[in-house]
Amino acid sequence: MSGEGKAPPPRRRAHRGTPWLALHLVLSGSLLLLLLLPVYALFTYAPPSELLAAASNPVVTTAIGLTLYASGLTVLAAVVFAIPFGYLLARRRFPGRSVVESAVALPIAVPHLLVGLGLFLVLAIPGTPLYRFANAVGFPVYDTIWGVVLVMIVVSVPYTVLASQLSFQAVDARTVEAARSLGAGPVNAFLTVSFPLALRGIVTGLLLTWARAVSEIGGILILAYTVYPGGPYTGPVTSTISVLVYNIFQTGNLRDAAAVSSVFLLIAFALFLAVRLGERSGWVPWRRGELVP
Amino acid sequence: MSHWSVEGVASHLDGFRLGPVDLALAPGQVVAVLGNSGAGKTTLLRTLAGFLPADAGRIVRDHTDLTDRPPEARRLGYVPQGLGLFPHRTVERNVSYPLEMRARLDARARAREMLDRFGLTELAHRYPARLSGGEAERVALARALAAEPELVLWDEPWQALDVEARHALGEVFEELREVARVPVVLVTHDPALAFSTADEFLVLRRGVPEFSGAPGELLARPIDPFTARFVGYENVYERAALVAPVAGPFAAWLAARTGPGGIAFARPFVHAAPATSGAWEGTVRAARPTPEGLAVAASVGGLSVALRLEPGADGRLPSRGDRVRFDVEEKSLRSLGTLDA
Repeated sequence: MSGEGKAPPPRRRAHRGTPWLALHLVLSGSLLLLLLLPVYALFTYAPPSELLAAASNPVVTTAIGLTLYASGLTVLAAVVFAIPFGYLLARRRFPGRSVVESAVALPIAVPHLLVGLGLFLVLAIPGTPLYRFANAVGFPVYDTIWGVVLVMIVVSVPYTVLASQLSFQAVDARTVEAARSLGAGPVNAFLTVSFPLALRGIVTGLLLTWARAVSEIGGILILAYTVYPGGPYTGPVTSTISVLVYNIFQTGNLRDAAAVSSVFLLIAFALFLAVRLGERSGWVPWRRGELVP
Repeated sequence: MSHWSVEGVASHLDGFRLGPVDLALAPGQVVAVLGNSGAGKTTLLRTLAGFLPADAGRIVRDHTDLTDRPPEARRLGYVPQGLGLFPHRTVERNVSYPLEMRARLDARARAREMLDRFGLTELAHRYPARLSGGEAERVALARALAAEPELVLWDEPWQALDVEARHALGEVFEELREVARVPVVLVTHDPALAFSTADEFLVLRRGVPEFSGAPGELLARPIDPFTARFVGYENVYERAALVAPVAGPFAAWLAARTGPGGIAFARPFVHAAPATSGAWEGTVRAARPTPEGLAVAASVGGLSVALRLEPGADGRLPSRGDRVRFDVEEKSLRSLGTLDA
């Protein structure tokens, strides 16, 4: 380089976006603090020793086990029923589609006590046709794991329907048409193109479904406050983790309530973190081909 | 090698009606489908591919009626607008896709062969998001041809390619047309591509074919202002543009000769400046060099006229504001039909 000692003037470009960025940081940071506030409170309220004690208490582990079991069945139901539903809404036009879309979102929008009450009215009052049918086919719902699963499905599976619908809509129809013209029948085109391309959004929907299912309490308070053994659940009499925390809180034992909550928070956080880390590492298949910064 | 015939095919999409369209496609023949936006070009392609049901007519391949067959049973190489590459599959797995779908045991080997043929071997493990426009076009073409289709349908090829990539792809395409002998229907807005590849033009307007025949025929007899501009006439005047408020003898002279849709003529030569001969006089508004000489835009009584000056006519280039004289021969005038029937 010639012209030593005549360095170009320092660039000022780097400073231009600072106030804009700062605004984003302040707003995001405030929200994050608020989101973490209850978590912080729960973790600091009970000493670590009590957290360990709660984690090894059979009453707590049984309730956690039941909650994970029931929410697992809920996610399974979402996979089987909600993904095809979302696909239908995304790809087919039919009369009354807007009504159907609104109906799907309804359970998300109403207080979940209402959902529990509605299910109670048709399924838990002896003598109603559905009550007799459910008992006859071996799916009694009142105070059973089926009741828990049923409430969880109604309040949480719509998230997967909506996420699947949006994800399938986002798949460029021309890639699907290309697949069809290249020899793929409708099923093959779905399995090899539409589904893999929508998978990332669907997985997000399933995560939301799971999260909503494990956090459910309103409907469960009415339909399955206490869970007795029966159906796939063979353990001792228990309740979901949310009902258990509520019960402990009602007794005034805040430290135990906080300790039990913290144990469950750790489990939920670990699951979300695992999925996100899996995505970033490229280990999971649904981000293949994406341009990741 | 198959012969296709499209006989009176009509279809519709929402409120739009296409057809009836007739086409005969021999092995290796290339038909360019032209028309304004919304003329039904893509609708025609999607009807031929089987994505839109035909309301009438037949699509026949070597005496086999395919009209009601689904897209996957038509043996097509369809390249949609935007190419439709699978973003979650590598280049190699994009190209092997049609072979996998037809359960070809030699899928991998055949895919490799296609990659090699299209100069894509080094990109085999890339995902489409990391390809340049030209590379992506080659992948789409390799994929469309991998399973030896009986008909190639290509919507807007060469859309975002630089000059070099166009040239290279054009050569590959020509070679495939000669060797593979597959009929091709391509939709394009690009006159250079249409003239360099197509044996036949099909011009659609509002879903109805208004011209079908050899490119030379359309060049000699453009139908309407759109086709006149498409085939390269630079002086195209719609009828309405020749009446008031534009005045002047030149506009009046053209108005006396215009067809119902307007009139067109190729660039007249500019007589050497200083202008002394030529029936018409104009004022130079702009001039730019081209391989065919200097392209001059002049204003003649409010009408803009494109003119051509041969290089070295008198050693001086006209500049803005210069007066130029030119002639328009009667036989070079093309009377045009209406754009809006």
